[in-house]
Amino acid sequence: MFDSASITRVLFEDFRPWAVRLFYLFGYSAIAVFLYGVYVQVRKYRRGTKASLEGGLWGRFGWMIESLLSQRTVTRRDRSAGAAHGLIFYGFVLLFLGTATITLEYDILEPLFGIRFWHGEFYLWFSLVLDVAGIALISGLLYMMVRRGWIKPPKLDYARPDRQPTDPDYDRSNYRREDWAFLWTLIVIAVTGFALEAARLVWLQSRPDVWDYRWWSPVGAALAELFQALGLSAAGGGALRTGLWWFHGLLALVFIALIPFTKVKHILTAMASMAARDPLAAQRLPRVPESQTTPGYQYITDFTWRHLLNLDACTKCGRCHEACPARAVGAPLSPRDVILSLREFANHALAYGRLPDKAQLDVHGKSPGQVAMETLWSCRTCMACVEICPVAIEHVPIIVQLRRKLVEEGEMDPLLQKTLQTIHKTGNSFGESKRKRAAWTKALPFPVKDARKEPVDLLWFVGDYASFDPRNQRVTQTFATLLHEAGVDFGILYEAESNAGNDIRRVGEEGLYEALATANVGALSGAKFNSIVTTDPHSYNTIRNEYPDFGGRYAIEHYTTVIQRLLESGALTASRKLGYRVTFHDPCHLGRFNKGYDAPRTILRLLGCELVEMGRCRDNSFCCGAGGGRIWIPDPVGAEKPAQNRIREAAAIGGLQVYVVSCPKDLTMFEDALKTTGNEGKFVVRELIELLREAVDAKAAVPAPVAVA
Amino acid sequence: MKVLVAIKQVAALDEDFEITADGRDVDPDFLVTDLNEWDDYSLEEAVKIKEAAGSDVEVVAVSVGAESVDEALRKCLAKGADRAIRVWDDALAGSDSVAIARVLAAVAKKENPDLLFAGVQSSDQSFASTGIATSAFLRWPHAAVVTKLDYSPGAKSAVIRRELEGGAFQEVEIQCPAVLTIQLGINVPRYASLRSIKQAAAKPIEVLSLADIGVQPGEVGEAGSLSRVRRMYIPEKGRAEMLPGNLAEQSARLAAIIKEFKGVAP
Repeated sequence: MFDSASITRVLFEDFRPWAVRLFYLFGYSAIAVFLYGVYVQVRKYRRGTKASLEGGLWGRFGWMIESLLSQRTVTRRDRSAGAAHGLIFYGFVLLFLGTATITLEYDILEPLFGIRFWHGEFYLWFSLVLDVAGIALISGLLYMMVRRGWIKPPKLDYARPDRQPTDPDYDRSNYRREDWAFLWTLIVIAVTGFALEAARLVWLQSRPDVWDYRWWSPVGAALAELFQALGLSAAGGGALRTGLWWFHGLLALVFIALIPFTKVKHILTAMASMAARDPLAAQRLPRVPESQTTPGYQYITDFTWRHLLNLDACTKCGRCHEACPARAVGAPLSPRDVILSLREFANHALAYGRLPDKAQLDVHGKSPGQVAMETLWSCRTCMACVEICPVAIEHVPIIVQLRRKLVEEGEMDPLLQKTLQTIHKTGNSFGESKRKRAAWTKALPFPVKDARKEPVDLLWFVGDYASFDPRNQRVTQTFATLLHEAGVDFGILYEAESNAGNDIRRVGEEGLYEALATANVGALSGAKFNSIVTTDPHSYNTIRNEYPDFGGRYAIEHYTTVIQRLLESGALTASRKLGYRVTFHDPCHLGRFNKGYDAPRTILRLLGCELVEMGRCRDNSFCCGAGGGRIWIPDPVGAEKPAQNRIREAAAIGGLQVYVVSCPKDLTMFEDALKTTGNEGKFVVRELIELLREAVDAKAAVPAPVAVA
Repeated sequence: MKVLVAIKQVAALDEDFEITADGRDVDPDFLVTDLNEWDDYSLEEAVKIKEAAGSDVEVVAVSVGAESVDEALRKCLAKGADRAIRVWDDALAGSDSVAIARVLAAVAKKENPDLLFAGVQSSDQSFASTGIATSAFLRWPHAAVVTKLDYSPGAKSAVIRRELEGGAFQEVEIQCPAVLTIQLGINVPRYASLRSIKQAAAKPIEVLSLADIGVQPGEVGEAGSLSRVRRMYIPEKGRAEMLPGNLAEQSARLAAIIKEFKGVAP
């Protein structure tokens, strides 16, 4: 056996001193260019405004590291891309760590302290692991090439709905070129790395402390066999090695130098974006800071540094584009393209030494890089984009900030403007007098407690639609009756309740939201109760997540968890098993926003229904289209509405009898869509409370749904 | 150059409203107040003149009423008015449109604007006379139901278009200073976000008493009015009844109703 110290790779073997110095010159230059690029990016982020960081530093870093190591965020809804990316990620990380290890010994530990460790057993295992890493890297890259070149999933075609083909920024060929350049460069670096390994082996075949251990670098050894079979001599191997050494080395250094200037920067910006993540991103929107004179984002310099960082983290994976309900029905909105436009804008305006004039920093409009009004008003704030984004980009908060500026300027649909004025005057979107809010209680055979006057156990925050819309009033009365039958001590706020404000905030009318939240918190503070229940997911979201910012911290549940408890404790009993074939539509603000997927399903099971899930369920539920103020904005004539798209998805379920919802706006939107898609008579739309009524009282007057033959 | 815009905070009726004990007005508990819809348009027209001119045009909003009227004035300030004036004195209670016009004319004499805008009418009392009565007190040229205005700030005259019945329009040249009552649809009023309304709270509202504008208490209120509300009431609604059944049944019921009205035994 040989002395362990001799089993190693001699760096710069047979290099003249000037060649070594030349290489180091390239190396330091590459690092300098890299550092300069990083500086330019960081300078750009610093031109934004302050962002508050939520959760502890360790919490956020922990989440980022865990996501990175598990590749969970990039595997969601695309297992093969996740697997391939995992191979690339681990391959690259291991190869990078390998190079770093060698540098550590060669440039730091050995010259300064005389420490050497990269030899013998360690060296051999090191070689094996890195060969495997190289194979992983190449496999992953090959799959990605097949994906882009042959499989061609629609979300990667970069077609953008917010521009016309005649617009200068419609064409995305430069993005495609960059994507392919990235893939080819990396794969060439990896392949030439293996070839270089093989060439060196052929060159040093007469050295037993190299040749005898060559199979610890299996790929290199196999290639060496091939080279020899093709007639490569030791001298030829030496020449090949020199040529490949410089090619591989310089290509890798150029790659590193260009990281901050290309798509490759996502390896840093994605990590940073994830480490800066706000776990309540779209659920709890930020207030307008006192120091800000105009609300929202008008100029690119109004953006927080986290949002500017988000723009750079995007890798154009297309998951948000795929998930967006507005994009799915042909609206001029793709969350991906909002982010990419703004990124192009930021790179154009903020990446130079001097900032351009203020007027050139305005992000609103139709010029390249700007975002148009119709794009912003198409958003339903359903959070599908934010929820699926692998790198924690906050599309919805950015859109709401841009809307705040539009609202301040009054640039909105006239019907929306009228609705905001109505809500300001009457506290509800129906324009009804406050007095009529509890009119639905008059039809009940029992009194509903006034929580303003007497203490109650459960305070029921009813909501606008549940109070004023005739179809929803029936559901509200049914729920009141069920609570009464279960012996629950509940009450409502009567006229003191106003619109909770969730959608007002997401429209961007922050001033009106503050007025509503303050009024509601005032009313709630004046009442005595143990916890709040609501039948409206939108109210649920804002009271739970946003009212604490306005001094109102309450224990609040959506009715589904309360009902589940009542059923499980026996306070309510399903005396009759319904046996319907149902599907459940997860409401955005209950499901995706607040992770409330399970209670409704448990209830359906307890009611004896056969639940068949739609393809887009739970976190991937497809929005009914009413959120973000869209229920107050007319839809374009002739275009498909999101609710219709969703009903068609349900209609594909064979034998479906009931489409179950648990949100007042969902009930309104889907009953309408049932008719307009021509599915009336095939199945019915029911609120979960109505099914409950049927099961809890066998003598219910609710007509049974039409059974499908 | 100055445009004075007279605004009114109007009341809208809640459903199931009640009349006050004295039978002359609606119980305030059942009223929801807001800026008069016509005044949205007249204020917008004034702010448009200011914005087109770029400089030196002052828009002043004025209203007659107690402190609650400040809400409407603040909305005007949020929408672009530079100053706001409110006139109140307890003696003003019970004023009709002529008495109000006397007060507005006094403010106009003090402010000396080039144009005075008012809405064609208010959505609650609908007298449609306050603006024109003000021009009578001022002895100024006046035009009502203006749907288009062509005016250069400081010019001696303006060209306006008036809306008449049957879809006809009348184009009128009017000497300035003048009083114009503005009709709905002359422009698209801008949205005042709640934030801008709150920020407008920083702009002061000048509160004037009758003495400040040289009007005697006897000249306003019921004493200074040309008309007085005698009573306000909800008229008895007519009766309607659906007659069900077949022809024979309906005829029998109809006969019975006629006999009932005639006071004849069935």
